[in-house]
Amino acid sequence: MAATVVESEQGSRARSGRHVERFGLAALLVAGALVVLLGARVVTGPVVIVVTALLFATIVSLVVVAVAGGPEARRQLAPYGLLKPGMLWLALFYLAPLFTLLKQSLSTLPSRFAVDAEFDWNFGNYADALTDFGGQFQRGFLYAGVATVLCIVIGYPLAYVIAFRGGRWKNSLLGLVVVPFFTSYLIRTIAWQSLLADSGPIIGWLERFKLTGPMESLRIMDDGRLLDSAAAVIGGLTYNFLPFMILPIYVSLEKVNPALVDAAKDLYSPSTSAFLKIVLPLSLPGVFAGTLLTFIPAAGDFINAEYLGNPNTTMIGNSIQDQFLVQNNTPLAAAMSFVLMAIITVAVLVYTKVLGTEELA
Amino acid sequence: MKRQDNLPTRSPLSRRQLLMRAGALGAAGLSLPALVSSGAVNAATTTRSSTRSRGSAPRPRSGGGGELFVENWVDYIDPTEDDLVGTVDRFIEATGIETTYSEAYNDNNEYFALIQPLLGRGETIEPDIIVPTGWLAGRLINLGWVEELPLDQIPNAANLRDDLVNPAWDPDGKFSLPWQTGFAGIAYNLEVTGRELTSTNDLFDPEFNGKIGMLTEMRDTIGLILLSLGVDISTISSFDEAAEAFEKLELAKNDGQIRAFTGNDYISDLESGNFAACIGWSGDVAQLSVENPNIRFVIPEEGGTSWADTMLIPKGAQHADEAAKWMDFVYDPVQAAQITAWVQYVSPVKGVQEEVAKIDPDLAENTLIFPDEETLANVHGFANLDEDTEAQFDEAFSAIVGA
Repeated sequence: MAATVVESEQGSRARSGRHVERFGLAALLVAGALVVLLGARVVTGPVVIVVTALLFATIVSLVVVAVAGGPEARRQLAPYGLLKPGMLWLALFYLAPLFTLLKQSLSTLPSRFAVDAEFDWNFGNYADALTDFGGQFQRGFLYAGVATVLCIVIGYPLAYVIAFRGGRWKNSLLGLVVVPFFTSYLIRTIAWQSLLADSGPIIGWLERFKLTGPMESLRIMDDGRLLDSAAAVIGGLTYNFLPFMILPIYVSLEKVNPALVDAAKDLYSPSTSAFLKIVLPLSLPGVFAGTLLTFIPAAGDFINAEYLGNPNTTMIGNSIQDQFLVQNNTPLAAAMSFVLMAIITVAVLVYTKVLGTEELA
Repeated sequence: MKRQDNLPTRSPLSRRQLLMRAGALGAAGLSLPALVSSGAVNAATTTRSSTRSRGSAPRPRSGGGGELFVENWVDYIDPTEDDLVGTVDRFIEATGIETTYSEAYNDNNEYFALIQPLLGRGETIEPDIIVPTGWLAGRLINLGWVEELPLDQIPNAANLRDDLVNPAWDPDGKFSLPWQTGFAGIAYNLEVTGRELTSTNDLFDPEFNGKIGMLTEMRDTIGLILLSLGVDISTISSFDEAAEAFEKLELAKNDGQIRAFTGNDYISDLESGNFAACIGWSGDVAQLSVENPNIRFVIPEEGGTSWADTMLIPKGAQHADEAAKWMDFVYDPVQAAQITAWVQYVSPVKGVQEEVAKIDPDLAENTLIFPDEETLANVHGFANLDEDTEAQFDEAFSAIVGA
C-alpha cells in the first residue's frame, strides 16, 4: 500500500522501493531455507561452513542495505527485519524437525535392532499406519470430538455467567478456572485414578445414593467400574481441556455490550431470541477458538488414555508414543504423526469453512 | 566420549514410578487435596532420593574409592530404613565407592528402547551395571553391547548357584552374573476375589471381567497361558506352537477381561483392588503381603515361569572395576542374605539360606524363596528363541499389548 502512495508521487522511487521490499523478502526466505538445511542436517561436512556463512550474509546484507538505503528503505525493510527472529526460530525448531520427521516417515529400518532408518521413499509406512491403527485413529478423533462438545456444553454457560453476572467477582472466578494449571497435568490426571478407583470415593458415593443403576444404563459405568473405561478417558479429556474452552468464550462474551440485549428487549424480543440472535453469534469466535484449542491437542493426547483407559480405549497418541518409545519403530511412528497432522489440518479447514469465520482471523 | 547428559535415567521421576507411588497414596485413603499438596511433592522427593544413593550412612570420601552407577528394578534391594543399613550404604561404607543406585528400570522392552539408540551408535550410557532379564541379556550379549566381566576381580562369583553357571543367554558365563531369580505366577487380592485362586484359567473367569492385569513381559504372560494350555515352554521353538496362547490373550483383551498390561507397576492396582488378580512376580507380592495379608501369590497348578535378572556391564562403562567390586560384594552370602530377606526373591548365591536362617528362621523355610523339589518341578524357564522366531513372538505380542 505504501508503495502505491509513493508511486503517485515519484515513479522511480517506487520502483527502487519495490526492489528493496523484494530484497527483504528474499533475504528472509533464503535465511529460513538455509536454517532448515542446517537444522535437518541435509548438508554435512565442509558445506556446513558455506551454508552458515551464507546465512550470516543474508542477515548482514539486510542490515547493510537498510543502513545504506536511507529512511525510506529502512521503513520498507523494517517488517522483514522484525519477522526475521521469529522466522529463523520457527525454521530451526518447527520446519527443520518437521522435515526430518517427513524423511523418517519415508525410511526403512535395515534390521530389527538398527538405530538409524535408511531413507528409501518407503510409502509402506503410511499404508501400515492406516491399516494397523485405523481403530486408534477413529477412537482418538471420537473421544476428542465428544470431549470438545462436552467442553462447550459445560464451558459456555460458565463463561456466560462469569462474563455477565460475575460483577466484582469476575477476576476471582476466572482465577478459579485457571487454578488447576498450578498443578501438573500429569498429577491431576493421576489424581483421577484415585478418585475413580473401584474402591474409591466416587464409586462409594454413587453406591450410597443408588446411582450405579442409572450410570450403568447410561454406559458411563461398566460392571460397577468407572476407572479404565472409555467414559473415564473422555471425562479426563473434558476435565483437562475445559479451561481452554472457557477462557476464549469468556473473552468474546466479555466484549458483547449488554446494552445490545437491553435494546433487543426494548423491542419486545424474548430473552431466548435475544440470546440466539445477538449474544450467541457475537460469541462464536470464542467458541471457534476454544474448539481448536481443545480438539487439536485432545486428538493427539495420550496421557488420559494411558492412565484412565484400558487396552481397548487406546487413542492414536498412545500408539505413536508406543511406536516411538517402546517399539523403536521411528519410521512408522513418524508416518502415523503425519497422518494425524494431515487429518487434523483437513478437519480444521472444513470446520473453518462451515463456521464461516474467516473474517475472525 | 562419555555422554553424561543423555542417559536412560533422564527423568528422575519416571511416569510409572510416579503412578505407583501416587496410586499407593490414593490407596492409603488420601483425599485429592492431600494428594495434590503433599503427595506430588512426596512422590517426587522419594524417587529423587532413591535415584541418588539411598539413606544417610556416612560416606568415607577419602581413599579415592571411585564412582559407580547401578540401574535396577524398583524395590529390588534392601533400603536403609528403621534400624537397618541398606546394601548400598553398606557397600559405600565398605569400599568408599561413591555409588548411585537408580530404580528407573520398569520394563525390559522400554529400557531396551531407551538404551538402543545410544549403545547402537557406539555411545555409552551412564549406568555401569544394568540388570535386564535373561532373554534381554542374551540379546545385548549377541549385539556386542556389553563388556566382559572382570571375573578375576570377583572371587565371590564362585558362590553362583550351580544351575546358573552356564545359562542359555550367556553359555560361557563371561558376561553376566544373576542378580535375583524368581517366578511369575498369579497374584491376587483375596478381598476382591472372595476366593483363593489356583489356576491360570481363573484369570479368564468372566467373574473378574475388567479386573485382570497382565504383564508386558511376553515370556511371563504368554508363558503362563501356554502352560495352562499344556504346552511345554522350555522346549518351544516355533510360533505355531504358541499361536493358541496369543489367540486366547487377544480374545480376552477384546472382551474387556484385561484391565491393563503393566510392567513392575502392577503392584499399586493390586493393592488398591483395581485388579482382582494379575500375573505377578513372587518377591514383589511377598513384600506386599507382609503389610496386607489379603495379597496372595500362587504358582498356578498348570505351572509358573521362572526367570533370572542378571547384572551386565554395558559397553564402554567407565567404572568396570568398581562394578566388579559391587558384584563381589553382593555375592558374599552374608550380604546377599540381607537382600534376600528384604526382596524375598530366590537368590542366585549359594549359602544364603544358612545366613537368612540367622536373620529370620521362618523365611528360610519359605518355598518361594528357597524352593523345594516340588516347587521347582512346577516352574519352567522359557526356551531361548532364535532371532527370527523371537521377532515373530514380539510382533504378535506387541500387536495385542501395545497401544
